[in-house]
Amino acid sequence: MTIWVLYDIVNDKARSKAAKRCQQAGLYRVQFSCFLGTLTQNQKDTLQLQLEELINEETDKVYIFPMSRSELQQTVLLGQAFDRKLVTDEIRALFF
Amino acid sequence: MTLTPSHIIEYLFCPRFTYFEYVLGIPQYEDKNYKVMRGRHLHDERLERNKDYLRRRLGRPGAPVVEKLVDQYLTNAFLRGVVDEVLAFGDESMAPLDYKFAEYKDKIFSTYQTQLYCYAWLIEDNFDRRVDRGFLVYTRSNNRVVEVPITDENKADVRRAAEAIFSIIDRNFFPKATKAKARCVTCTYRNVCIK
Repeated sequence: MTIWVLYDIVNDKARSKAAKRCQQAGLYRVQFSCFLGTLTQNQKDTLQLQLEELINEETDKVYIFPMSRSELQQTVLLGQAFDRKLVTDEIRALFF
Repeated sequence: MTLTPSHIIEYLFCPRFTYFEYVLGIPQYEDKNYKVMRGRHLHDERLERNKDYLRRRLGRPGAPVVEKLVDQYLTNAFLRGVVDEVLAFGDESMAPLDYKFAEYKDKIFSTYQTQLYCYAWLIEDNFDRRVDRGFLVYTRSNNRVVEVPITDENKADVRRAAEAIFSIIDRNFFPKATKAKARCVTCTYRNVCIK
């Protein structure tokens, strides 16, 4: 499934660790604290637990949103947009 | 050589698993899996906390929980394993209790059941008491306790699986893969297995 991860984390160290975890899980960095990509149920669960451990529940916020592929195709992207096909793994090879 | 409940579970998942891991000795790198490591850590925490807590409510009418043995290393001719808790009841019966770093989702996975069957067999051999049920504690669902019935047939199945594993390991036998193709998708050995 397609997963959005958005966060606001106060602590610098925790924030950079959160970014690292998201990238290790195989997500694309859409914005500084916004990640997107396809994960399995188990990968999503693992990422959730890892982020849970990093954050301070009093001050920080982390959102993990699942989204279907058809909904992703309906998203509106203005300006410097990301590549929808790259995110949904529709592009299999970058060089031809 | 003795087996652990993990060997049995892996064998029941796919006999090839046993072959790749224990005949060819290809490791499956469990310690790179975050959830596996969190789960392993949990048992140490449990040992520290609530040491004297006795689950009285789990007993049957007239047979309350009278004793708890924590972190029991048990072994018999086939199997060895560490049971998180062995509960003794007033009617001379016993039951294993196992902590899971998991959420309860209205069904009990067969791997968890198999593990309890193994423990039941070990407890019967070591304490010479009857075991006809086991318990699972789901720590990610507010420590919810679920009872699992255990029959003699279940214990016999585990014994048969143990014998089959020895026959693979002792003869370096390359077994047939599981018929459930869905398991191949997430299997750690999918890259080295002949389909």
